[in-house]
Amino acid sequence: MIATMGFSFGSVAALPSIGGLATESAMVAFIQPSTALQLIAFAILLGGIYGLVALGLTMIFGVMDVINFAHGAMMVVGMYTVWWTATAFGLHPILSIPLAVLGLFALGVLVHLTTISSIMDAPQENQLIVTFGIMLILISAIEITFSTDPQSLGLGLGSVAIAGVFLPLGQLYALLIAISAVVVVWLFLQRTQLGRAIRGTADDRTAAQYVGINVPRIDYLTFGIGAALAGLAGAVIPLFQQINPYLGDSYLINAFVIVVLGGLGSFPGALLGGLIVGFVHVFGQYYLPGSGYQISIFLIFILVLLLKPEGLLGGGVSE
Amino acid sequence: MVSVSNADVSSRLDQARRQYRTFQSKWYATPAILAGIFGLLLVLPLVLDLYFFGFSLGSWISVHVLVITLVWATAAQGWNVMSGYTGQFSFGHAAFFGLGAYGTILLLNTVGLNPWLGMLIGATVASLYGLLIGVLCFRYDLRGHYFALATLAFAELLRHTFNTFSQLGGASGYFKPLPRSYGAEFGFAAFQFRETLPYYYIILGFLVVVTAVSLAIKQSRLGLYLFAIREDESAAAAVGIPTYRYKLVGIGVSAFFTAWAGAFWAMYFDTIRPDTVYELLVNVEILLPAIVGGVGTVIGPIVGAFVVIPLSEVARQSVDITGFDRVIYGLLLVGIVLYSPQGAISWPRRAVELIGAYGPSKRNASATADDDDE
Repeated sequence: MIATMGFSFGSVAALPSIGGLATESAMVAFIQPSTALQLIAFAILLGGIYGLVALGLTMIFGVMDVINFAHGAMMVVGMYTVWWTATAFGLHPILSIPLAVLGLFALGVLVHLTTISSIMDAPQENQLIVTFGIMLILISAIEITFSTDPQSLGLGLGSVAIAGVFLPLGQLYALLIAISAVVVVWLFLQRTQLGRAIRGTADDRTAAQYVGINVPRIDYLTFGIGAALAGLAGAVIPLFQQINPYLGDSYLINAFVIVVLGGLGSFPGALLGGLIVGFVHVFGQYYLPGSGYQISIFLIFILVLLLKPEGLLGGGVSE
Repeated sequence: MVSVSNADVSSRLDQARRQYRTFQSKWYATPAILAGIFGLLLVLPLVLDLYFFGFSLGSWISVHVLVITLVWATAAQGWNVMSGYTGQFSFGHAAFFGLGAYGTILLLNTVGLNPWLGMLIGATVASLYGLLIGVLCFRYDLRGHYFALATLAFAELLRHTFNTFSQLGGASGYFKPLPRSYGAEFGFAAFQFRETLPYYYIILGFLVVVTAVSLAIKQSRLGLYLFAIREDESAAAAVGIPTYRYKLVGIGVSAFFTAWAGAFWAMYFDTIRPDTVYELLVNVEILLPAIVGGVGTVIGPIVGAFVVIPLSEVARQSVDITGFDRVIYGLLLVGIVLYSPQGAISWPRRAVELIGAYGPSKRNASATADDDDE
């Protein structure tokens, strides 16, 4: 799915898309002398989005020790919230993006309370199976409601050229939103009482209970925030890319890679991992045939799993 | 019926419950149940079109659906040997399924090798790939989440590799050639038939073999070691079980038999592509029957497959909405793990208990709660 996406979007879509990056940069390469600089710009733009996707995943893992397979599906719900409110009610993305974040927070809390909360102490694979089941339900619900056809907001934001480097505005906005979200979440975790409680729970669940932290409450809040971050990551994607119900898959799998690369539960690790995968993706797509970039991403992933399974910046959310 | 008093009924139920429990504790219980199941499966396609009380099974399920059911039962049985017995949860068995499928069809297309030989080579390659995964992951002691993600990565790696390289068929995959092109006639030797029924008996044969191996492992010393690793790996190592070696045996055997299901898949359908045999959902379709039926039990994967696949097929046929069958999969996954983690295999016992709970001897009902490992 990832491979075919790359080709079809690259050739068909007028909007800049992740899949289309290589084609565009190839085109740009004729005009601009510094291909490398252009690729670096694309890598940072994409890496920022990847980091945002991985952030919610790593947070849920760090605090609750749960791998949320439904993370990609929650992104897709975020994408369709923005697209649907824009096409049905003409809502501006400035309004619909926060709406998607709130909606996904509620969905996350609901999912946690109805399913995950009762199996927190069960073997790890049980949570994996349940979140996978939720992913199937969410994706199929989207398919049934909105069909599998690709959709686009058709914003046509265009692009700017800075010092000979071509930057699609949609992706630039998405990156700015991603950076502000990261800053807000970081401040929340570092500076608020609740944030401290979340970090404490991530460090040691039992000890957190002893000092009077309501761990079940922290759990559902964390799952909600993680889902909201997935929703945000999904909500900014229609700004620069066509959407379809399966887009979450490719982001999810790369987000797993990023999260393990950076260290499961590590906040800065997710951002660093996002950038690394962004670079491998963009450069690999430009220089390697077919889905060679994806093969390289998996090879890096396997290498990290084997040599440093705790990740490059392994540790708790507290880092 | 009217003359039977209430106490009489409950004492009879109590007796039935006790008899069932005695039977369950015998060593021959599982083989006997399996023989019954396989006997039923042997005649099942023949009675599909018979009418009982004006109603026939054939109007709901076809032989084709039964074939698909048995394919996933076989794959799940293979998965179970590793993930059910040793507790190393694999989320990447599509790798082995796909290697079995590709081994068969690739060798058939390129050098015209007989599919039966191709299947064995494909299964051996899958087994070696499994050992590679095992050596890498177990040496570095990957467990739980990390192991599941690593297996998924190894499966996805194959998908992208086969998609990228045209020497491996590329994204469009392979067509199944006609038997004539590799010097054979339709029939057993060519692994191709004009009708569906012979395919059914072949996959049933596969399932019998895999189940027999799985049962033999479970009732041997090897099985004891594997289960010891599942329950507490450090304790198993402490009493002198070479856990690393036995985990490798588990993954090797498991990969070998999962590849059989893939090879059958390749010979049953007309075409295979990386996105059909290595897909993310294939990983789930392989483990779903075992989860639904009962992880670590021999009967579970078979029963689970017969719960999951006909259900989703009936749903697909009666509700004309794409994706509806996946909603069923999703609901089953969530529902089973939340409400019946021991799987469908525990339902008869729970039913008996439930009936027994109304009888005179309530005190035993809870005592049997966790001693059923078929």
